[in-house]
Amino acid sequence: MIENFLAGSSALFGDPVTIAIFVFGVIGGMLFGAIPGVSMLTLAAILLPFTAGLTPAQGVMLFAVIYCTGTYGGAITAILFNIPGAPENAPTAFDGYPMTQQGKSGKAVGAAVLCSAIGGVASALIMMAATEPLAQWAIRNIGPPEIFALVFFGLAVASSVGARTIWKGWMSVLIGLLIATIGQDPVGGINRYNFGVGDLAAGIAFVPAILGFFAVSEIFVQAERKAGGTYKAPKVSMSFPTFLELWMHKFAVLRSILVGFFCGILPGIGATLAAFMGYGEAVRWSKDKESFGKGNLEGVISSETANNAATGAAMIPLLALGLPGGALTAMMVAVFQMHDLQPGPLVFYTSPDLIWVVFAAMFYANLSILIIGLVETKTILNLLKIPFQFLAPLILMLATIGAYISRGLVLDVMVMFIAGILGYLLRRSGFSIPGIVLGLILGQIGEQNFAQGMQMVHYDLGTYFSRPICAILIAAGFITLLANIYRAFAPAAQPR
Amino acid sequence: MGRLKRAHIIEAAIWLTIAAVFFGYSFEFNQPIEIYKFGATAWPRVVVAVLVIATLGNLYYSYRYGSSAQQGRIGVTNQEDETDFSDPSTLIKMIAVLFTPFIFAWLLKPVGIYFSAPFFIAAIMWLFGERRIKAILIMTAVIYVIFLGLFLVVLNAPLPQGNTSPFYDYSAWILKMNTQLQNLW
Repeated sequence: MIENFLAGSSALFGDPVTIAIFVFGVIGGMLFGAIPGVSMLTLAAILLPFTAGLTPAQGVMLFAVIYCTGTYGGAITAILFNIPGAPENAPTAFDGYPMTQQGKSGKAVGAAVLCSAIGGVASALIMMAATEPLAQWAIRNIGPPEIFALVFFGLAVASSVGARTIWKGWMSVLIGLLIATIGQDPVGGINRYNFGVGDLAAGIAFVPAILGFFAVSEIFVQAERKAGGTYKAPKVSMSFPTFLELWMHKFAVLRSILVGFFCGILPGIGATLAAFMGYGEAVRWSKDKESFGKGNLEGVISSETANNAATGAAMIPLLALGLPGGALTAMMVAVFQMHDLQPGPLVFYTSPDLIWVVFAAMFYANLSILIIGLVETKTILNLLKIPFQFLAPLILMLATIGAYISRGLVLDVMVMFIAGILGYLLRRSGFSIPGIVLGLILGQIGEQNFAQGMQMVHYDLGTYFSRPICAILIAAGFITLLANIYRAFAPAAQPR
Repeated sequence: MGRLKRAHIIEAAIWLTIAAVFFGYSFEFNQPIEIYKFGATAWPRVVVAVLVIATLGNLYYSYRYGSSAQQGRIGVTNQEDETDFSDPSTLIKMIAVLFTPFIFAWLLKPVGIYFSAPFFIAAIMWLFGERRIKAILIMTAVIYVIFLGLFLVVLNAPLPQGNTSPFYDYSAWILKMNTQLQNLW
């Protein structure tokens, strides 16, 4: 492992272009994570078409680095504006934003820097040790039925996060699945749902849909706040926490690393679940439960350690099984596909250099959070003073070009803006945007593997349940689903 | 009616209509596939069927609990601030924000991005509440230069040039300037 890691490191730092891409990813991820209204997903979606001009290793590495630093960057908007940069930063806002209101934003941001770095580095080390053995095991034990079962489980879990009710969670996932059926079917190549539009025969391109649902809908949400007069500028302070203050929370950090890593492995919503579980465990173990939600530093520490601990773990299902664990890892699948590669266990044999460059980059990206995070964060905090009315047209222009450039079709720009309007309206109605995107990505993988699986078992669905891994995953998916339906009829939590 | 509001019924009606359209349209491609017994329609029809079940479940939930968030939901923290749209000017502003990008996208084919971009950039700034003409002009120029510098000069990205005169001629002039600039080094 150490030899491979050193080889990955030398490949990463031996080429000036790769170094430049790494530095760009580190700073870009932090910056986009920290700008309210956009997120690491916006940057990743804008960059996606341009990765075609990079080598596969550079493209995937760039996204892995953005994932690590963007997850941290999203904490800044959560702390300063009460706008989580990504769903996994949501619990950070519970205590981070009250700290900002108390004039302690520097302490919260400082804790987020340190804990994101610790969680991320620990996760990267475990990922390096675990992914390859898991991939080797997957080659022997995982076939189309198991992948379909894992997709089902992932969608069941994804449906339970981000939407206001389980029904809306499932509807979000199903909207994504339905959009994924547009275009040619994966078995016979028959055109489906092109509604007479010739360009739709190739399906809804992933990049414009992602740009629309994430970047454009975010702009519309901010526009609504501007129009309604609810947009709030943050109070910024620069006093970081002392070493002693952080040392007092060492057990919270250790607990959150474990929680984050194990939750992160789940395809679908790993990092989000990790952050909420990390926060929930912090509350459960605390002697001062009432202080959470009112500006308790441990709330920020637990959430940020756990969500960054999930970044390395989320790479395990992607690289070992070819299944994305979240929206950004889903975009990584697109990067692989743009280079005619398929993520999954065989990548370890076909492109081992790529894997170890990515692993090394994730390790160093997490270290970068620690080393340059404190310095860079101060710059980012100053950049937050740029009024949003100047950022919005820039982001929309970048998104327009990003949508157009992948296939050279104006239709894709139209699709992006339709997805933006749809995303904005669905967010207002309590639907889950990550759920839609995961449905869109996992839909094609799910259908293809279901079809291959059924052909393999001669259309005997019972065979699915005679395969232990497959049976366990399908059962787990149904249990998740039924548990959520049961909870759906428990008394409502937040009457509106 | 329980706690059901008109909005819940409209929401359910929209989703059921979408499901009906997708189910109805599936007969257009209902052809057998020799190597796959279930054909091209099975998967989308199952998705449509589950969507109908989820929509009815959502409607029943709304009947019992109204618009309340379900207990113990993960990731439902950013309940969007409810903007008051009772003021017609707020609503008009929001509709303009939603449709300006769409008009821009529609104009890309005939007018091209090089000509329409500055107007689009300025319009978005104005819609986001910027009223200082000087600031709009300066920032529009800055963003336009960034756009041209990055995508035209550095990346040489093929972007829509328009297909009607004089917009096409303007795009051609920009591209000619870029070629001359590239020839300098």
